Amino acid sequence: MTAPATPHASTTARPGKGRVNMPVTLALVVCAIAVLVPLYVTVSMALKTTSQSVDGNAFSLPAPFTLDGLVEAWRLTNFPRGFAVSLFVTAIAVVGTIVLSSVASYAISRNWDRRFFRWSFFYLLGAMFLPFPVLALSQVKLTGMAGLDNPLGVAILHTMFQLSFSTLLYTAFLRSIPDEIEESARIDGATTWQVFWRLVFPLLAPMSATVGIFAFLASWNDFMMPSLITSDPAQQTLPVLQSIFQTQFSNNYNIAFASYLMAMAPAIVVYLFTQRWVMAGVTQGAVK
Amino acid sequence: MPSTSTSAPNGLTRRSFLRGASLVGAGLIAGACGSDTGATQITFHQSKPEVIGYFGELVQRFSESRPDVRIRHDSTSNLSAGFVRSSPPDLGCLNFNFEVARFVDRGALSDLGDMPETDRINPDLGPLVDLTASYPGRTSVIPYSLMTAAVLYNRAMFDEHGIQAPTTWPELIDVCEALTEAGVTPIYSTFSEPWTVGQGLFDYTAGGMIDVAAFFQALEEQGSDTGPDSPVSFQKQFREPVERMLTLAQYSNSDAASRGYGDGNLAFANGEAAMYLQGPWALTEIAKTNADIDVGAFPLPVTENPADRKVRVNIDLALWIPEMSPNQDAARELFSFLMQPEIIDTYNADNLGFGVTTDAPEVTHPTLVEVQPYYDRAEFYLGPSQLLPQSIPIHNYAQALVTGADPDSVLRTIDADWARLAFRS
Repeated sequence: MTAPATPHASTTARPGKGRVNMPVTLALVVCAIAVLVPLYVTVSMALKTTSQSVDGNAFSLPAPFTLDGLVEAWRLTNFPRGFAVSLFVTAIAVVGTIVLSSVASYAISRNWDRRFFRWSFFYLLGAMFLPFPVLALSQVKLTGMAGLDNPLGVAILHTMFQLSFSTLLYTAFLRSIPDEIEESARIDGATTWQVFWRLVFPLLAPMSATVGIFAFLASWNDFMMPSLITSDPAQQTLPVLQSIFQTQFSNNYNIAFASYLMAMAPAIVVYLFTQRWVMAGVTQGAVK
Repeated sequence: MPSTSTSAPNGLTRRSFLRGASLVGAGLIAGACGSDTGATQITFHQSKPEVIGYFGELVQRFSESRPDVRIRHDSTSNLSAGFVRSSPPDLGCLNFNFEVARFVDRGALSDLGDMPETDRINPDLGPLVDLTASYPGRTSVIPYSLMTAAVLYNRAMFDEHGIQAPTTWPELIDVCEALTEAGVTPIYSTFSEPWTVGQGLFDYTAGGMIDVAAFFQALEEQGSDTGPDSPVSFQKQFREPVERMLTLAQYSNSDAASRGYGDGNLAFANGEAAMYLQGPWALTEIAKTNADIDVGAFPLPVTENPADRKVRVNIDLALWIPEMSPNQDAARELFSFLMQPEIIDTYNADNLGFGVTTDAPEVTHPTLVEVQPYYDRAEFYLGPSQLLPQSIPIHNYAQALVTGADPDSVLRTIDADWARLAFRS
């Protein structure tokens, strides 16, 4: 948690670098606070005792400091298992979304003049207007019949529901890649598969990062689909397991926040390790 | 090892990450397939969070006596999805509300009338169950625990101001006036959470004044004819209770409109008000802040006759076995195990519930002993807010009433909602 170092930056503005843009800096400070304050509440709540967590002072420091909330949350959600299931579902959804939608978009955008491909694009886009709650009942029934009432079924459905939006993004991006690059590869004797995997897919990297992030967030945070589709409670994902902490009649803020913190941590850790690649992907796309 | 530590941050390569992820996946699939052995497996659905641990132990005990029956203790699955998928839990132990009522109405739950335990159930509770939902010729659900709600009051504060628990409406108003004069907030209200208004002020005043069961039976028969001119309607029968509710609401804390359930528990525990219209579930929350507070309970008097006082009850837990379950016998065994007097009575004593069997002991909790006589005499009612289907947002209507909406127009809306719903179904 490093606060943005702004106050002294304005006094030591170097010549040639230009002055610090105060309005933008202030706006960014406000944005940073909007993230850091809830994060602080989450961390401090997780370390409070049950009686302190319900005393109505969300911003107070934990006193006494206790790890009971974390221990209890770990035990009640069976954290390692719930985490592994969430990871399994999310990994398949992210990889599945990136591979399927990039392949589909490539086929569609390079055959745009053919009616079949054009209509299949509209068909995929149509799915964007079908929210899951509308289809929930039939999906529950169908996955049950197909033996997919488990995390694998959830992962497949996550991929499917992410497909239309991702295809839209990829298709728009693919239009900006000139045909000439592909033609040169074909002259060298590359097949369609080779052109896609060796040439087009690497060029799509920045968009793949975007699509991957969207797919990760949608899948990791989803509550409704796993809660309806997965029939075995032992294979349930973290957001569903965490729903037991807060009911109409009782509040266990310290345990709930401890568990949210543990669910949040992996995403932050993964970002810390991979931001290099994410950033690299973005700049790669910027300099064409 | 300073030389090796520098390379540690790069230890997680993409390849090793993928290898790890695939291992996890393979482990899951292997785990899912490996559980298929010769034992009967039944699913026990119980989702009340604070007692998951307790039922977990019971399930463990049962498994030790019956090693050939494996029990899956489920507290997260979606109930409707289970029924849709034709794999509902084999034994359910849930709050008896409209979610479960749907399954009863459609005959999805099996008849437990032939179980010997059924005869032990307090016969006064039959009408309560039937009023919520019933299927002809079946005993679809068996009550397990009953919650009895009344006005919680701070005994020390009442003593300090020389006040007794009121027995009639004028006495109640006197108590409120006396407390106000002494500078004490009489009632702590939490209007920002609609359900607290619905189950509290709204249910208590209506239940203390009218015969809730008779009203809803008449309303049911009347169906879509309900309106301003029909013999029973919210506009007619609920007019007076709502007026009294609004009178009472004026004795609330001034910031009630921005206070929620959590704030209410905290404030009452800290002695900021003398009375709090919540059920026994709030006692555990209050104890989180102040374990030593001496809390009493009395049924809200809404009429001039002390004999009209009644407590509000709801069936907190009820057991049922779906018709679809392929393991009826094993489920029934677990049912009988849970219904054993020492188990059901321990549960109710630990969780501030009232026993539902004729052989159950009286409650011992210092707050609840005050309402035991009313339960014994069957002077109780189901809250009207529990008897309206969820498609009528009664809690929000109650919230509108206490925050200044016109009672006539709100009651007229409820009547219209009821008529529309009856017309549709």
